[in-house]
Amino acid sequence: MMQHIATQGPSASPIFGNGERANRLKSTKFGGRLVNDYWDNLFSAREQGKMVVWYNGTYIPPFFHAHDLAWVHGEAWSAYLAAKHGEIPAQKAGEQWGYDRELCSYARTHIGQALIDLQKLNDGTLGIAPDDPRAETMRKLPAPDMIINAYPYCSSGQQWDDITYRLFGKKVPMFTISIPLLWGGRTDAGYLRGDEWNERSRYVADQLMAMTRFIEEHSGRKYDFDRLSEVMSYVKRAAELRLEAMDLCTTTPSPASFFDWIVSIAPVNFLPGDQNLVTYFEGVKAEIQQRIASGEGAVKDEKYRLFFDGMMNWNKVGWLADKFAAVNACVVAGRYTHMSFWQEPQLIDLKDPVLGMAQNYLICPNNHGAPIMIGEIEKICEKFNVNGMVMHASRTCRGMTNSQFLIADSAKRNGRQALFFEGDVADESFYKDELLNTRLEAMIESMDAQRRAA
Amino acid sequence: METVLSVLEEVAARPLAYARQWKEATGRKVIGLFPMHFPGELAHAAGGLPIILQEDDEPITIGQSNVFNFYCGYNRSIIDQALRGEFAVLDAILFGDHCVQLLGTADVIRANVPQLPILFNQLCSILDAEWAMRETQGTFRRLWHELEVLIGHPIDEGRVRESIRLFNRNRSLIRQLYDLRRAGRISLTGRQMQAVVKSSMVMDKAEHCALLEQLMAQLKARPPAPGVRVFLSGHLCHAPKLAVLDLVEECGGIVVDDDLYHGFRFIFADIDETAPPVDALAEWYLSRSKKVPCPTRAVKDLDWEDYLLKAVQASGAQGLIVLLAKFCEPHMYFYPEIKAAFEKRGIPHLMIETEHEEMPIEALKTRLETFMEIARRRAAA
Ligand code: SF4
Ligand code: SF4
Repeated sequence: MMQHIATQGPSASPIFGNGERANRLKSTKFGGRLVNDYWDNLFSAREQGKMVVWYNGTYIPPFFHAHDLAWVHGEAWSAYLAAKHGEIPAQKAGEQWGYDRELCSYARTHIGQALIDLQKLNDGTLGIAPDDPRAETMRKLPAPDMIINAYPYCSSGQQWDDITYRLFGKKVPMFTISIPLLWGGRTDAGYLRGDEWNERSRYVADQLMAMTRFIEEHSGRKYDFDRLSEVMSYVKRAAELRLEAMDLCTTTPSPASFFDWIVSIAPVNFLPGDQNLVTYFEGVKAEIQQRIASGEGAVKDEKYRLFFDGMMNWNKVGWLADKFAAVNACVVAGRYTHMSFWQEPQLIDLKDPVLGMAQNYLICPNNHGAPIMIGEIEKICEKFNVNGMVMHASRTCRGMTNSQFLIADSAKRNGRQALFFEGDVADESFYKDELLNTRLEAMIESMDAQRRAA
Repeated sequence: METVLSVLEEVAARPLAYARQWKEATGRKVIGLFPMHFPGELAHAAGGLPIILQEDDEPITIGQSNVFNFYCGYNRSIIDQALRGEFAVLDAILFGDHCVQLLGTADVIRANVPQLPILFNQLCSILDAEWAMRETQGTFRRLWHELEVLIGHPIDEGRVRESIRLFNRNRSLIRQLYDLRRAGRISLTGRQMQAVVKSSMVMDKAEHCALLEQLMAQLKARPPAPGVRVFLSGHLCHAPKLAVLDLVEECGGIVVDDDLYHGFRFIFADIDETAPPVDALAEWYLSRSKKVPCPTRAVKDLDWEDYLLKAVQASGAQGLIVLLAKFCEPHMYFYPEIKAAFEKRGIPHLMIETEHEEMPIEALKTRLETFMEIARRRAAA
């Protein structure tokens, strides 16, 4: 049974559309190598004498990197398992322990995997067949020396870590940071401005400073802020390059798609802040420039430009990329890719980076009340000349489904089509391919009709 | 006694109708609160009627266009009511919680009922953080100020103290009922207890206190009929359906205690009447979870299951019934630990997932009967 699941990946290409596949950027392959190196390094963290932090939420690894700690991002680990189609044993373990399948599937997968690991620790076995190719990976995730939670917006993230803390017998020191919602209810509220913005920025910055004291305390070493500045110099440069490269995709046909940016999330989100990051985004930008020069698009004969809203469906990245390509639709931008991950690098003062880091964490796209968030989505849709919105209703991620009806309404008000499809972040069973096919077909027809009428 | 209870039942059944009458009679402002942690005292001191917004029994119709069906019944119902225009009686909503679903609900209301002010003051959810006290005091100070702007006049500190005293009195009266029920001296049913607590979430507190005092005077010492003593746990934010509570009793259970939000969770903690009000409110908020742990807050050394084991024992209950509102993530996270702890101790427990829509009562009946049988046998063994 296990063996069967292991080999049962999704088939290469959906049968819907003209059979064209996404023309993916080649430069992102380097990212794949970096990601593999990261996990390999992590798996050997113990041998390297490093302490391991498990963390959830926003992109705080520069704080760990600057202190020579190894880090495990809960979401990245779940997404990694899902992308390798190795999430099922973990989700089964969670289910056996009593978790409902309506619970955040990132959390269920991560906790489930921890349960497998703990079981393995307790009885020296591994819950899945030893010759299973996934066994090697799963055996290697080092247990935490510290747990840090820094979730913006979603309460589920905080509860998830609370459970991890309990699973490890409440013996691993834990630190939780509140990244409060920017509700934007006061008269002076706006994107990056107003009293609430200033006050909350300082609140989060103070907590980040407290986190460095927590790290000092539990590692027995003084925190090195110069090193943090150095790490952030790479992160900031990489973030700038990423944004410059994204801006180039306002060209028609778009040289890269949302799915290329999805693949590029790991580097800005949790990979070590060093020269490799800069090299990666230099490569991506150069390839995009080259494509523009030769008129090459991410999708052959691009006819429609779409915006992707919602959390990524990690089991389906390649599948979805091909599905849209097959109907000549380029998903040019998305909420998850274009509104998060160091998206305001200029706020970071390299001499004293903490406040600017706090501010970048605060502006995660969900963390703004709907009016400001939707205003920012509108700007992106204008900029990228978007004709339609694809709304991924990710079943167990309310963090990203909140406000989706409001976003769809605003799209329609602005003359854009919107379709909803169901899926999930890491639980494949919620994805309904037929529904997406029918709705996509209908949306394409409407966009055609709209054009004929214009 | 029956007449007092029927008044409370009526308010509990139609909270917004009560609010409309109150507003008509007083000409003052009605302020809606989202559950579960915001003190109504400040709104009361401002001269308003704080009412905790309730799920209603209507099927979700118009709300469907604004909320997914995988949200808890409370959120779906609140959105539906907002879109049906039911909240016209409200002058503002106070909102300070942190459950991710409620954040979305607040935004849907803001978009669809733009004339209704929503005062959002997010409470620090990490109760043992080093900054928790400072931050919570700041939150309540801001709220105090925002309420003054809303109401159009300053809120006097003395008035806040008076409100705190009144709310404490109300809570302590309800706690007396709990004590009597736990001791087996009175037999208030689950349905009746819900009416008491839910009406307290809605009614003018002075009026509610007067009714409770009448009720206490009329209550006869009447030990409940023999049955399986059960403890009800869970069901955050919205009141369990009365039909489910009735069924527990029809199947041979006697509810002796609970930690429901529409129950003991709402009234167990008082606010210091002597300390400066903002400090007292903050202290109340931060220490509440130490007594009855809440799964939406984070406190490292507190466990819901430990509290439940103790509370079940203290109430002499023979079994635990967990009522879990479908799609309630904070509850889902912590349920497995409760289950494991009760299994380990051999205490009978049953989890019932409840839905906003019709519940499959027949199937539930069979499960409850089996549970009562097991609890009876274990108690006899
Ligand atoms: S529900 Fe979504 S946003 Fe919340 S913890 Fe899970 S994946 Fe993160
Ligand atoms: S805590 Fe549970 S019941 Fe309350 S709003 Fe959130 S999901 Fe619904």
